[in-house]
Amino acid sequence: MHIPDAYVSGQVNAATAVVSAVAVGLAAWRARRTLGERQAPLLGMTAAFVFAAQMLNFPIAGGTSGHFLGALLAAVLMGPLNALLVMTVVLVIQCLVFADGGLTALGSNIFNMGIIGGLAGYAIFSAVRRFLAQTRRGFMAATAVAAWASVVLASAACAVELAISGVVPLRGVLGAMVGVHALIGAGEAIITTAALSVVMAGRPDLVGAWQPAPVGASKEAQP
Amino acid sequence: MHVPARSLSQDDSLVHRLDARAKLAALLGLVIICVSTPPGRWGAFVFYAVFLLAVAALSRVSPHHLLKRLLAVLPFVVLVAVFLPFMPGQPRVAVGPLSLSRGGLAMFATISTKGLIAVGAVVLLSATTPAAELLAGLARLRVPAIFVMLLAVTWRYLWLLADEARRMKRAAVARGFTGRWLWHARTVGRMIGALFLRSHQRGERVYLAMAARGFDGRAVGVPPARLRGGDLLFAAGSLALLIACRAVLP
Repeated sequence: MHIPDAYVSGQVNAATAVVSAVAVGLAAWRARRTLGERQAPLLGMTAAFVFAAQMLNFPIAGGTSGHFLGALLAAVLMGPLNALLVMTVVLVIQCLVFADGGLTALGSNIFNMGIIGGLAGYAIFSAVRRFLAQTRRGFMAATAVAAWASVVLASAACAVELAISGVVPLRGVLGAMVGVHALIGAGEAIITTAALSVVMAGRPDLVGAWQPAPVGASKEAQP
Repeated sequence: MHVPARSLSQDDSLVHRLDARAKLAALLGLVIICVSTPPGRWGAFVFYAVFLLAVAALSRVSPHHLLKRLLAVLPFVVLVAVFLPFMPGQPRVAVGPLSLSRGGLAMFATISTKGLIAVGAVVLLSATTPAAELLAGLARLRVPAIFVMLLAVTWRYLWLLADEARRMKRAAVARGFTGRWLWHARTVGRMIGALFLRSHQRGERVYLAMAARGFDGRAVGVPPARLRGGDLLFAAGSLALLIACRAVLP
């Protein structure tokens, strides 16, 4: 989903770059105020973790594979704005050092994978969670839905950017991108929930979005 | 994605010794100038390629290394563009048994040329600039300190965690894991969960070690450094040449 240079028009890249710069600037400003000295190195470690996790391909069907995005997992673990910072760091390194994703398309890529994938994905997570039981199962279900949506929406944003730039007609590219990513999103949902259940088994205190009910109450809520 | 061998920059040359800021300005300028060049201006595109090859030759990085890294990202650059000639649209040209759209074909040629030059510029930048210098350059270009620190910590632990991920994957394969279908992704997910716990524990240990050495939460400042004449000449000369070519060449 990393858009290379020359696909998306200058106007689209400029617009997404402005939005991304404002959002990332806000996230960095808030991080500097709220993060304790302890968390700043941990945030960098998390970015390195997302980078490494993206290298583990997951199977889709008969040998084809997709790769993990991780925006929603990061958002559930450490909050949406920190997740945006983490995704931005990952995308900047991928772009500047590995030439993965275009330099002029950096704004679009941060917009798609950080803002849509991370912030919008987390908004969906919060909204869905409100409608579900406040149990571990409800939490996981909301995570799964939001992880799937974060990948599908990011791919749709990517398709819209390509269409506005006049590279491909919207109808064709939107169907193709969303179709493929509906499947990749299923993988993202499986991976995000599986990873989260491991973290919750070992260190539930690290899952920022999970505030367990007081001890005793949660036992009764779960049959 | 493909992550090449550890050190991306090891040689020494005139280009290596340039200030990271000068290289950032010239090569990133090249990307922006190239991408914004209107389609069909082949004279200008040929010049950009020649400019890139000249800098590559000056840098004395082995062509094999550059080519290998170029080929690693090339599929992603042309992945979508490959379909463009097959899109509906008039007029059409026949190439052998295929009927291709002329507009799509032209767009494919433009996008892959621009993409190739842009990727070449970034590959050359990272092949001639150690990450530490690149980070110092970004800090001196007034990128916010917290962001530079995040980049530095991430870069420092990226290889370590990538190795950890590879080891976990290899161990799973050794135990007979053959992921072929979507539902096998669960196993990869648990691996990623374990990877997070391990990296978080490592992060806590690193923080304690940093605190023991006097880290108080502030990012380490990068001492300011003046650009030397050669750096300015390289950056300004390259940009002037590229802008002139974009304006003049057909």
